[in-house]
Amino acid sequence: MTSKAFFVELGKHLAVFAALILLWEGASILGFIDTILVPQPSEIWKGIVDLYFTRGIIYWHFGITLYEAAAGFAIGAGLGILLATGSALNDNFARYVAPYATLLNVTPGLALTPIVIAWFGFGYGSKIALGAITCFFPVFVNTLIGLTRMDPDTSEMFRAMGASRRQLFWKLQLPAALPMIFAGFKISVTTALVGAIVAEFSQGTAGIGVLMQRFAFQLNGGAAIASLLSMSLLGLILFFIIEIIDDRIVFWRRDARMTAVSRQKRAAWARMRT
Amino acid sequence: MATDGFAVPQEKDMPPKTAQIPATDSPAVIAARRVRKTFGDGRVLALEDASFDIRPGEFITMVGPSGCGKSTLLRIVAGLIDHSGGDMTVHGSAVTGPRNDVAMMFQKPTLLAWRTAVENVLLPTELAGAVTKADREKALSLLELVGLKDFAFSFPSQLSGGMQQRVALARLLQTGADILLLDEPFGALDEFTREHLNVELMRIVAEVNATAMFVTHNIGEAIFLADRVFVMTPRPGRLARIIDVPFARPRKPELQLTPEFNALVAEARAVLGGLE
Amino acid sequence: MSASDQIDLPKGMAGGASTRRILFNHLAILVCWVGLWEIGSRAGVIDPLFFPRPSDILVGFWRLYITQGNIWFHLGLTMAEVVAGFVAGSALGIGLAFVVGLSDTVRRFLKPYVVVIEATPRIAIGPIVIAAFGFGWTSKIVIVMLVCFFAPFVNTLNGIINVDRDQLDMFRSMRATRVQTFRKLILPEATPEIMAGLRLAMASALGGALVAEFIASNNGVGKLISTYTGNLNMASAFVCVLTLSAVGFFILRGMEWIDRWLVFWTDRKRTEAVGRKRAQRWQKGGKL
Repeated sequence: MTSKAFFVELGKHLAVFAALILLWEGASILGFIDTILVPQPSEIWKGIVDLYFTRGIIYWHFGITLYEAAAGFAIGAGLGILLATGSALNDNFARYVAPYATLLNVTPGLALTPIVIAWFGFGYGSKIALGAITCFFPVFVNTLIGLTRMDPDTSEMFRAMGASRRQLFWKLQLPAALPMIFAGFKISVTTALVGAIVAEFSQGTAGIGVLMQRFAFQLNGGAAIASLLSMSLLGLILFFIIEIIDDRIVFWRRDARMTAVSRQKRAAWARMRT
Repeated sequence: MATDGFAVPQEKDMPPKTAQIPATDSPAVIAARRVRKTFGDGRVLALEDASFDIRPGEFITMVGPSGCGKSTLLRIVAGLIDHSGGDMTVHGSAVTGPRNDVAMMFQKPTLLAWRTAVENVLLPTELAGAVTKADREKALSLLELVGLKDFAFSFPSQLSGGMQQRVALARLLQTGADILLLDEPFGALDEFTREHLNVELMRIVAEVNATAMFVTHNIGEAIFLADRVFVMTPRPGRLARIIDVPFARPRKPELQLTPEFNALVAEARAVLGGLE
Repeated sequence: MSASDQIDLPKGMAGGASTRRILFNHLAILVCWVGLWEIGSRAGVIDPLFFPRPSDILVGFWRLYITQGNIWFHLGLTMAEVVAGFVAGSALGIGLAFVVGLSDTVRRFLKPYVVVIEATPRIAIGPIVIAAFGFGWTSKIVIVMLVCFFAPFVNTLNGIINVDRDQLDMFRSMRATRVQTFRKLILPEATPEIMAGLRLAMASALGGALVAEFIASNNGVGKLISTYTGNLNMASAFVCVLTLSAVGFFILRGMEWIDRWLVFWTDRKRTEAVGRKRAQRWQKGGKL
């Protein structure tokens, strides 16, 4: 889309948004919407201003939840990749890991919340652990599928060229699996956030989840929704970080990136030859 | 077939032009007058002023490279897209949308995966109203006509690509339309299947007395199948030449080896090659 | 990002003697785990507060299921919340998707909100709902509904708009009405995606109900786990978790079965079976 068309489209979306907000506010003032159930936009705005500007308390909590989710994701995804790679490379490993992975899959990870809290205590540990547990499976299964679904023609070609098992893994299996792996990451990173927040609900002193729960039970609907929106922001940030990394690493899926990498490679080759 | 009344370009180095519209005695079943199609608010000219008459029972093929407008033209005849200018009439009435007397077949079989072959064939009848016993018998006999008698209750996933297209063909015939439009129906199949199906197609079309318009990008196939070949060139899409194919029917594959056949191929190539 | 399907693990190899040996190996390993665990616990190496003894867990099963039998009530309550919320939420999601799917404009303007909601943990709405609706089962059902709405909505929408263009053209060329196109083409074509959305919703539903119970509840399996853990009765807490695993397993299997039954044309054996049945019905001249 040209940039003029983009701004026109953006304008339309903003117009619709403004219209919805006005409608909502109007309905709340006139009493059509129960403001205990659904806070008014003006209250939410007050909440946002308070959290972000007047008192500015959200930044600290934002950072904490971000840390919990990121750490949980790192551990869960790391384990997921490790076990999936092991399973993909070694049939026996796969066979004996599979039942336990399935068990983890069918158990609602969030059911373990009280147990995790009992194990890891009231601090960050339980939030990170719950995040890791809930986000393990999507990464595990996506990585496994990605690594095991090899195009038979391409792998035959590799074998015909005398590639070793290790070369096959690093030069074919892993790169081919990257799109799938990153798809797993995208699901996983929001799941890790869920785990962290749920742990905060059950037992927490700091973090956006704790904030939101406090505001909710104080019946401060506006601030509660403002916190919820902050969670959305956090989720979007995490998601976009993965998107950016995905775009950089799996460059062959987008034309613009491919062209850029083409240029870089050409320059690198030219330097090599001189 | 005789070329009664049509003005065929006599010299190969005459500049390409569309055939003149003669006055004939048999009414044209498909008539186009300066039909054009633009996309994007007039910025892209996909088809420029095509004019032709097609008589009942003719087998017309349209051949040309990508962007020559052949699929666009076919879709205009089918009523699936509107034309931007000119007149398109079928059976004497203007084309304003899809209609009962025109049926179309695509390159993909577009069968419904959850229906058996015969249920797929019955789809047009179902959409038009109630399904009678006679309709069912017709569907079964059409499947037999295309050589799939034993596969009436197979699902598309159980059939090969060629078989799926044959089911699609049977479905086409079930509509009872006497004008059949085919957009590269066998393009995705291997050469042997394609040739076999082409011969079958000619037989079937003759048997049901239908008029056919067939799109392809293979010159040999176009000439092998057709009574007349519409040669189309791209940028902008134009009907550059109509070539008469006078060979008798039924046609055998060996025809493609004869010098007469290849002369026509050369003629078509000249028209298409004259662009560069 | 879309609510993409959780794919099943690749199935293991089949076949007679090797399957039996594998099964034996599995059991052997399991027995070893459990044995080591038990021994380690008794020897004081493993703290029974963290990892309750297998023997204690077994006793716990006996107690919760039979002697005290309290798990049935709580499990029943939780499952009722889950089912009610799941049905209501998914139905709403699918229904709304059908409405939205018909209009390209509505979809375009809805997209930014969908993206934002997708990034938000839906379950986070829990405390707000509980503050509004109280401690009873209404808030639990509302939470499960909200959790179960999104995946079916997004997936159904995807299924509807991704119907093959050529198929749509084919229906148009046969002059099908909008209703006919919807019933005979769009709905069956979208069914696999709809099922995927429902599977995702089911997975979240159970979690949603439990979280709601953790936050504030007097009854339900979540409350049981909470209480037992609070009293450091880890064995009973584990019993509850394992029960939920079993429930989750059966639900998963059940949904797979429904999926295979409904979307029969992707499974070879089912395709053959349905083909035979339809041939029979045809001979009898029945309705298609």
